[in-house]
Amino acid sequence: MSNNTIIKVEGLSKHYLLNKSAEQKSDTLYGNFFNGIKNLKNITQKKETQDFWALKDVSFDIQQGDRVGIIGRNGAGKSTLLKILSRITPPTKGRIEITGRLASLLEVGTGFHGDLSGRENIYLNGSILGMTKHEIDRKFDEIVDFSEVENFLDTPVKRYSSGMYVRLAFAVAANLEPDILIVDEVLAVGDAAFQRKCLGKMNDVSSKEGRTILFVSHNMGAVQNLCNKGLYLTKGRLNSIGDINDIINNYLQSGDTNKSDYKLHIPEQVTYGYACEVFIEDENGNSLIEIPVGSYWRIRVTFTITKPTPHFIVAVGIVSSFEMPIRTTWSEPSDINPGNFEAVFYNNDIFLTTGIYKIVIGLSSNVRTFHYSDNEVSISISDAGDIINNKRIINTQSGLILNPMKLTIHKTD
Amino acid sequence: MNKDKIIIDSNLSSFFSLKDVLKYKSLLNNLAKRDFLVRYKQAFAGILWAILKPLISILVFGYISSKINNTENTAINFVYVASAMLLWQLFSSVFNDVSNSIIGNSNLFSKVYFPKIIIPLSSILVCLVDFLISLIILIVLFIISGQSIHWQIILAPLFIILTLINGFGMGLYFATINVKYRDVKFIVPVILQFGMYVTPVIFSTKYYLDRLPEWLHWLFCLNPMVGAIDGFKYALFGGDAIYNTYYFMVSICISFLFLFIGVKYFYKFERSFVDYI
Repeated sequence: MSNNTIIKVEGLSKHYLLNKSAEQKSDTLYGNFFNGIKNLKNITQKKETQDFWALKDVSFDIQQGDRVGIIGRNGAGKSTLLKILSRITPPTKGRIEITGRLASLLEVGTGFHGDLSGRENIYLNGSILGMTKHEIDRKFDEIVDFSEVENFLDTPVKRYSSGMYVRLAFAVAANLEPDILIVDEVLAVGDAAFQRKCLGKMNDVSSKEGRTILFVSHNMGAVQNLCNKGLYLTKGRLNSIGDINDIINNYLQSGDTNKSDYKLHIPEQVTYGYACEVFIEDENGNSLIEIPVGSYWRIRVTFTITKPTPHFIVAVGIVSSFEMPIRTTWSEPSDINPGNFEAVFYNNDIFLTTGIYKIVIGLSSNVRTFHYSDNEVSISISDAGDIINNKRIINTQSGLILNPMKLTIHKTD
Repeated sequence: MNKDKIIIDSNLSSFFSLKDVLKYKSLLNNLAKRDFLVRYKQAFAGILWAILKPLISILVFGYISSKINNTENTAINFVYVASAMLLWQLFSSVFNDVSNSIIGNSNLFSKVYFPKIIIPLSSILVCLVDFLISLIILIVLFIISGQSIHWQIILAPLFIILTLINGFGMGLYFATINVKYRDVKFIVPVILQFGMYVTPVIFSTKYYLDRLPEWLHWLFCLNPMVGAIDGFKYALFGGDAIYNTYYFMVSICISFLFLFIGVKYFYKFERSFVDYI
């Protein structure tokens, strides 16, 4: 262990047993009752289970002062790694040595209680994160300052707006003084200006005070801004570790990121038909894993109609990561006969800012929706690959839509 | 630089460490404070409920027992029932709260590390504060009934602690099972409801033992609350509250056995709670 190694991980593995019968769980009281009786009967029989390795034989060292971005697609083991490092869940195999005080921020506002006032919650949350009363007293003014909620300190937080709640929660966390800070995607909440403030604070903490940060995010821009090293996981194994730009390039080129084509789940009861696949493409029809910010793109939806459908409409909606619908486009209603079809929606007019957006797809007949998919497809608009090439900087504070308005200036006197 | 070193290992097991608990003292206090504040928030009578709740049961059961026992001095009968009832309610709230504490706070330890024993310990603190408030009832009844104070009264805190040990030990055991099987939240109230009738709360141990067949005496004294309540009565009123010293000692030993089993069981599974929540 060299002098500056602050985290040493050796052969880390985490194993889960998945219950195969979990899918058969019933949501109804009636169903639950009979499942209960069945469970009692089966109590002696062994349940059928499936092995799952969330992490497999991962080893790496992290030096003091490193800001490490952990990347990989969903299910690659990022969160499991953070949970093991934070001592929340034990590893199945392997060993970790950590030197120094570690604080983890897997969620903002852990333990916040709606009935307690802002002031009471600062103390509660601070102590959950491992601060002593003395430390919180000392930091109190700074926390209140950062959160911008001083007028509401004695109001129960259940009466706060969601923005105030997140600001207060992050303010407590941002004033922690650990040697190692572990942060999981917590910046996905809050408005863009506040996100920037948080990133800035984390950057300060790390560069000025030499703290080590481990950061998980799907926002490649944020990772690139904050981190100097990257750790890339694929299916629970360590793919690569090294300079952040190299690692992000590896990741983007691997096709392991967002997908460009999605097979939709076919509904159990098909009335008129269903949407089958969605493709995200650039202007020329090449598939796009990440959409470069400031470019045109399109969504191609294929669908199958199984019987003559009157007044048919296909629609696509774009929803921001704050669940805010941005735009919806409907086709002209028409009567349609069975067959396979393809609809292409062109995004040729507005440029959205960087981030993850959800794509909602709907098919309807006589204004009644018969297939609706709202959590299967997402797009990622990113400046990550691009920034390396042309250093173009997008100011996310300027808004969701990057196109400027038409603007004229007259002299009026 | 002298820094903490944390080792995380797959086969490392932890056990109760006072040092750890003291390190997280402010978390312990804040969790207890939260539960206490939240319990009486938006309740019109507020903290008065800490007195009203036991008072109501004391009145009901005190009345019933004075009818059955045909005692001439009702005040003394009430103070007897009150002392046992308060201790029983302390036990039942500790047992119940501790057994639900782990799943009730899973949102905390699934996001942040701290010694999980802090959670049930904070539940005890909350119950203890409630108990100390409700002691007012006992003091008032004590004065009304004209009891004199014996030297034994200095023993009373010991039996309060014994009650906490009972509730904590059994609570920890059930809290651990609760992580995997939520049936516990239905079982615990049943145990408590029946438990009260096989514990000398309304009647004395003598009353029970006189009426039970010989071979059941043993079983009766395996109840850890028998020792705590009889000891508490002895501390307050002296006399023959401890009916049979041998049974009394057995009951106290059972208390510590339960504590040992509860703590042992808790620490055996503590590390993997998150995976089952």
